[in-house]
Amino acid sequence: MTLPGQDPELMQEFLTEAGELIEQLDADLLRLESEPESKELLDGIFRALHTIKGAAGFLNLPNVTAFAHVAEDALNKLRKGEVEVNELVADALLRSVDVLRDQMAAVSDGEQPPAGPQDLMDRLAAIARNEVGPGAATIAQTIGESEAATTSSPCAAVPLAGQAEPLELTSEKQDVLPFMVDDLRATSDEWLDAIEAFTQADTRGDAMTRFTAVAQSLRSTGEYFVLKLLTAIASRIENLVQQGAELDANVVDELVPRLQVAQQLVSHFADGLAANLIYSWPLDRLFERIDELIQGKMPPEDAQVAPEGGSMEAVLLADGIADASALAAPRSAAKPSAQATPSSSDARIDQASSGEPKERDRSATNAETTIRVEVGRLETLLNLVGEMVLTKNQVLGMARRLADMSVPHDFLENAGTVAGDLDRLTAELQVGVMRTRMQPLSKLFGRYPRLIRDLAKKTGKKVELTITGGETEVDRSVLEQLGDPLVHMLRNSCDHGVEMPEQRAAAGKSELATIHLSAQHQGGHVSITIEDDGKGIDRKVIADKAIEKGLTTPELVAAMADEDVFRFIFAAGFSTAAQVSDLSGRGVGMDVVRTNIAALGGSVRVQSVLGQGTRIEVLIPLTVAIMPAMMVGVGAHDYAIPLSSVEEIVKHTDAESHYVGGRPVMRLRERVLPLIDLRERLDAQDEPGEGSFAVVVCAGQEQAGFVVDRLVGQQEVVIKPLDDTFTTGGPFSGATIREDGNVSLIMDVVKLLRAGDAARELARK
Amino acid sequence: MSQATVNSHGAVAATSAAETVDADLLQLVTFVVGAEEFAIPILSVHEINRMMEITRVPHSPPFVEGVINLRGRIVPVVDLRKRFGLPKTERDSNNRIVVVEVASRVIGFTVDRVNEVLRIAPNIVEPAPAMISGVDTEFVQGVGKLDDRLLILLDMDKLFGQSELAAMERATAA
Repeated sequence: MTLPGQDPELMQEFLTEAGELIEQLDADLLRLESEPESKELLDGIFRALHTIKGAAGFLNLPNVTAFAHVAEDALNKLRKGEVEVNELVADALLRSVDVLRDQMAAVSDGEQPPAGPQDLMDRLAAIARNEVGPGAATIAQTIGESEAATTSSPCAAVPLAGQAEPLELTSEKQDVLPFMVDDLRATSDEWLDAIEAFTQADTRGDAMTRFTAVAQSLRSTGEYFVLKLLTAIASRIENLVQQGAELDANVVDELVPRLQVAQQLVSHFADGLAANLIYSWPLDRLFERIDELIQGKMPPEDAQVAPEGGSMEAVLLADGIADASALAAPRSAAKPSAQATPSSSDARIDQASSGEPKERDRSATNAETTIRVEVGRLETLLNLVGEMVLTKNQVLGMARRLADMSVPHDFLENAGTVAGDLDRLTAELQVGVMRTRMQPLSKLFGRYPRLIRDLAKKTGKKVELTITGGETEVDRSVLEQLGDPLVHMLRNSCDHGVEMPEQRAAAGKSELATIHLSAQHQGGHVSITIEDDGKGIDRKVIADKAIEKGLTTPELVAAMADEDVFRFIFAAGFSTAAQVSDLSGRGVGMDVVRTNIAALGGSVRVQSVLGQGTRIEVLIPLTVAIMPAMMVGVGAHDYAIPLSSVEEIVKHTDAESHYVGGRPVMRLRERVLPLIDLRERLDAQDEPGEGSFAVVVCAGQEQAGFVVDRLVGQQEVVIKPLDDTFTTGGPFSGATIREDGNVSLIMDVVKLLRAGDAARELARK
Repeated sequence: MSQATVNSHGAVAATSAAETVDADLLQLVTFVVGAEEFAIPILSVHEINRMMEITRVPHSPPFVEGVINLRGRIVPVVDLRKRFGLPKTERDSNNRIVVVEVASRVIGFTVDRVNEVLRIAPNIVEPAPAMISGVDTEFVQGVGKLDDRLLILLDMDKLFGQSELAAMERATAA
């Protein structure tokens, strides 16, 4: 992070949060197109944007703030129903999300984000200009709207109506006021987090650092604008920090609700400032109590709020900020503002409890059920579990060997039980840790409606994407590697599969095509299908192209099943598109699909009925870090073959080998499979063993028999990277550590199958 | 330099003077491969292990003997004899695997035996002569002239570096 003067941790947090919000914005804006009237959606969109704006302001990213501000203005008009959500508007908003995404990317690269594109800003501003009444009235209305948008919550119900006075500032200060308000809101949010940290004894030190930052921010704002409330609160926080983390638990219990109230006051104060009003409350007693508490002195018993549950209302009452009647009904302002009539000022103040605190509150409750954990920590945990599985394997091996030694029977039995328990517990622990890494596929799927929408618009097709099973969870590393293949497949469906509306109509189909994306668990696998009702794949076109490319011969094709023919679409450089569009047609996409899916140990199936549609099914294992494997011996070494690719194992002797076109094959029931001699492929130099086996493997729809010398057995293997430049390049996907502590390589079945193809190619030439 | 902050001024001067002298000395680990004695900076050495089973990795460069399990980490091992084009010999109990870190890669290499840890003054190191008994001078950083013998200081970046590997790949591709 090279942005000057920024706390990298804070920045990272901002980026994570902004990233999530942007995803949400994308999804919500798309929904908005179909439900343009939904107030709830508009409010959600507005809030997300507002949060980004606020945080960007706090982190001093003026270009982001400025852009988000313009977009927010436009959205406001939509929320008020003054501007209708039409396609133009939706486009502008979707583009805005893209701009924000680019800006975040710049921030994450440590650069100052670029300013929003002027044409888009102008368009957003144009949307926002449908404004009716400018000035204070609008602002009041805005605040009112945002309050109306928020449903009831304990926090929003706290009446913090105070006295209001107009704010008089020099024009210079008036100019910076909006920034100050943003800053203040951000500070108040940060403060809320700090208070939360403060409630926990172990994070109290951290809270102190945050408090210091909050106090500094409050003090500088307070001094610049001569706002006594802010400086007074800043002093209290500074005192608290000076006193340090050493406070009695019951003092903390009393202090926390009071700090929360003060935080709320600042938050409302900021809202007031936005409307050029200064709120004031009778806070002497609150300050006095806070001062005393910091000194370790408890408030008088009748003013203790902790027994009342430490609610903010209790503080308001106990410290005389509001009285009981005010808690029941909003109090009218004693001093009407000079700018506004009493009644309007009243309304304004009540409405001043904006959406902000309420939202915060909700996230605070969420925090109890979910926590955000750095990915690195999960990785460490998983690595440790991996180590433990290895150690467990070694212990099990030792326990087995004990049986061959002359140890007392009861000891042997004991060792067996303990080893068994260890096995079971490790397995459970492994599952538990794996589960922490699981993420719902909706994280990926959420991006696709947008993709399809844009594609359909570009191509002039009418496509609807339906999604089911987004809640299906997979390991995060699987999720990451699935992203590209799915995009390619969806693009393909949209670009090649789905016909133009007129063609569809002519074929008697509805003009609106459907692409259905679904996911579900299947044993230890996840199955993801993409099904379209487009024109289907023409077997003849694919077959001709495959022959033309020299991938097969007319005789071979004639004997192939449809599925095997369709498999050619995954070959590198294979494209039947007459023209390369910027969407697809370069023949790279489906190769990416096959490679990525194979890297995950998964497989792809293509089914298609000409004229009716295509169905592509991807089957991938739930996780990639630990997997069951078949250990086989080739020459002097043992290798692991992922069990997910092993179909069956048959006894094999050389006598059973046949040769077809100079290539060794084996007959397995009705099928003829190519044989790949691993001894040859792995350059085993030593003498062959007596008996050999053929391991029938399958990757995607390719099948072959691997000839091996020995079968060692099935084992859970922990995949270790084999990523040094000295050791990459071979047909291995990684390495694992055996029971005896030595290393075995894990075979990359796809590479072995492909290398076979290449070798055959060479032989043929 | 934590001492320096607590000590008086005089002590600081004394310590730093001593450190300068120390820091100027080259601290080397020396080992034997074939007929020559080689040396590498001690700071680049992670550990020195007895021979263990090395798993061959098919399709890797010929001088890569395989991979070992270094406490759960898979580390490639280079056969220095092969690297230097020396004939293969029988393994014996003196053989060691030296694990080093080069350009943030962890790599092991086999040596006939490890000799000692030495401190030598940099001024006795001379640039490499054109040829040292069969070892390609490309890997040689310099030659240390001790009273009784010569030390060949190895340039590990070149020995295991990426450029070396690229050259290898070109050679095999050709």
